[in-house]
Amino acid sequence: MRQMITGNGAAAWGARLSRAEIIPNFPITPQTAIIEGIASWIASGEMDADFLPMESEHSVMSALAAASSAGARVFSATSSQGLMLMTEMMYVTSGLRLPVILVNVSRGLSAPITLWSDHNDVLAQRDSGWLQIFCSNNQEVLDSVVMGYRIAEKSEVLLPMMINVDGFTLSATREPVEIPDQGEIDDFLPAYNPEHTILDPKEPMSVGGVVFDEYMYFRSQQRMAMCNSKGVIKDICSEWEKLTGRGYGLVEPYCLEDAERALVISGSESAILKYTVDKLRKDGEKVGMLRLRTMRPFPSEEIIDTLSDVEEIGVIDQDISPGSGGIIATEVKACLGRGVTSFIAGLGGRRIGAEKYEQMFKRLGRDVEEWIF
Amino acid sequence: MKTLKKLTDIPMEDYLVGGHVACQGCSASLGLRLALKVLGKDTIVINGSGCMTLLPVYPTTPLRVPWIHLAIENTGAAGTALYYALRRKNIKANILGYAGDGATYDIGIQSLSGAAEKNIDMIYICYNNQSFGNTGHQRASSTPRASYTTTTPVGKVEAAKDMPAIMAAHRIPYIATACPSYPIDFLNKVKKAAEVKGMAFIDLLTPCPVGWGFDPSEGINIGRLAVRTGMWKLYEIMDGRVDLTYVPKKRKRVSEYLRAQERFSHLSDDDIGAIQAEVDQEWAGLEERGYGYEIMV
Repeated sequence: MRQMITGNGAAAWGARLSRAEIIPNFPITPQTAIIEGIASWIASGEMDADFLPMESEHSVMSALAAASSAGARVFSATSSQGLMLMTEMMYVTSGLRLPVILVNVSRGLSAPITLWSDHNDVLAQRDSGWLQIFCSNNQEVLDSVVMGYRIAEKSEVLLPMMINVDGFTLSATREPVEIPDQGEIDDFLPAYNPEHTILDPKEPMSVGGVVFDEYMYFRSQQRMAMCNSKGVIKDICSEWEKLTGRGYGLVEPYCLEDAERALVISGSESAILKYTVDKLRKDGEKVGMLRLRTMRPFPSEEIIDTLSDVEEIGVIDQDISPGSGGIIATEVKACLGRGVTSFIAGLGGRRIGAEKYEQMFKRLGRDVEEWIF
Repeated sequence: MKTLKKLTDIPMEDYLVGGHVACQGCSASLGLRLALKVLGKDTIVINGSGCMTLLPVYPTTPLRVPWIHLAIENTGAAGTALYYALRRKNIKANILGYAGDGATYDIGIQSLSGAAEKNIDMIYICYNNQSFGNTGHQRASSTPRASYTTTTPVGKVEAAKDMPAIMAAHRIPYIATACPSYPIDFLNKVKKAAEVKGMAFIDLLTPCPVGWGFDPSEGINIGRLAVRTGMWKLYEIMDGRVDLTYVPKKRKRVSEYLRAQERFSHLSDDDIGAIQAEVDQEWAGLEERGYGYEIMV
């Protein structure tokens, strides 16, 4: 079934098709329409889940962790300040190896307060041990949620996943989205049946206990799970492609085969960048784009494979680590072992647009941090 | 289970067994051990970070029932989610929240309030050592006036928060105070807490030898003194009505309780006289009202 739905609608459909059972939630712009959509489906009987309005995002993440520990498939969504309030529990959830799926509708962090898209919220959780997917369109949002459960629930992964949806540009914009049949998804995604964490008097287990010297061992297990996730993501994506015809991976290369200059980007802004690449290609310019779809695991091999032969590289960050620069640029530099031009653009939803991308392609070749207002 | 009348009525089975690392004379671990005897094996414990978090130390656990610890401030939120998850999984179990006073009165009050507002069917026992005990006895809103803590080196100025009254304002079906020094009284309250449909809250005074400064062998006695001097009242709140469950025949002087603890050792006789006058006034009011009164209309 093909429908014109928003990114928020696509996220809600993802949760519904995945048969998420427990939905703790707290409203925050621009995410709220996701939980409103789910609330109305539960009320009308179209979705069988418990809707838990919590008293804060901290409680939302706590509830996700508790319900997941008891073996339920759980879902929630947040944005910006809400994600920040969840921070403490983000680490607990990944440390307990709970396959929670959280959609973050990205929004700039206060102060000054803004409602518009920006990646500093999601990147602040970069080290929290969560898998991170950045979506570029609404179809990808729905697909990523459903695939997310398959990936996160794999025994060699068992990590929570955050799916990033750019505020307003995706969350509030309608696009045609193919909504798979429930039966098709039920075959693809069986019920969650955990073996590692169970809260049942028939099988008493102490969860969340204290460790001393073993702490580092547990962290290394988490790191191994993150490494394992690369192969799992690729496998599940190709399975999904066979089912739906829509393929994804860790990265999305665009016109890179013979590119001399390339821009690295993540999220929905990649759409206009692709348009710009097409336009410049028509003029004979050998430009290309690499979209990072997974931020964690960081797609190092894919970046090296696709960009090693590109002469000049720029990285667009809709985020800033003041005193260091673009967060993604720093990681791409470390991965490639050479300088890139770090463009800071689109903070707080500031429009980038094709003319600015053209400007960036012209300004490559210098290892500097440049702000494109 | 029938109402308990004597110590031998307490079930023999233990679900918190020996060999754990709680301090000698810890009455918080005693409180949990007693509560689990009554609640039985079909119980899942949610713990808020604090002293009790140190019970399961990897790779061992002294708990024979399921236990989950997430963080300090979310026992209520975890209880809410667990209630719904268990219902979906068709698992029948008591949900016992067991969190300290700092985790309850202070940092966890938001999530506790959320669970109480939803009247989640869980038993929440606040083991109350009147301070942030696990970090070494710092001031909390549950700390009584005049008590020394490491962050109130000259004694706390403010009185403790009235947490049971706050819970009563949520109109949950059962609220009580208790002390492990009165195990029959405590366990009958746990039993009622398990029987009511909806949220039950028990504020359990658990004297702490380390923080309060008394010999570990004196814990039970200190708890008795707290009750017999009238400084810790044992009562229940149901349907907006407070009823004392124990009235000391002849109240002991508060000095007996206060002088037995280092945390009050800086108090002068005049200070203690002022506390005595306050307690006397409160109990005169209680007597006037027949040791029971309406607090919610």
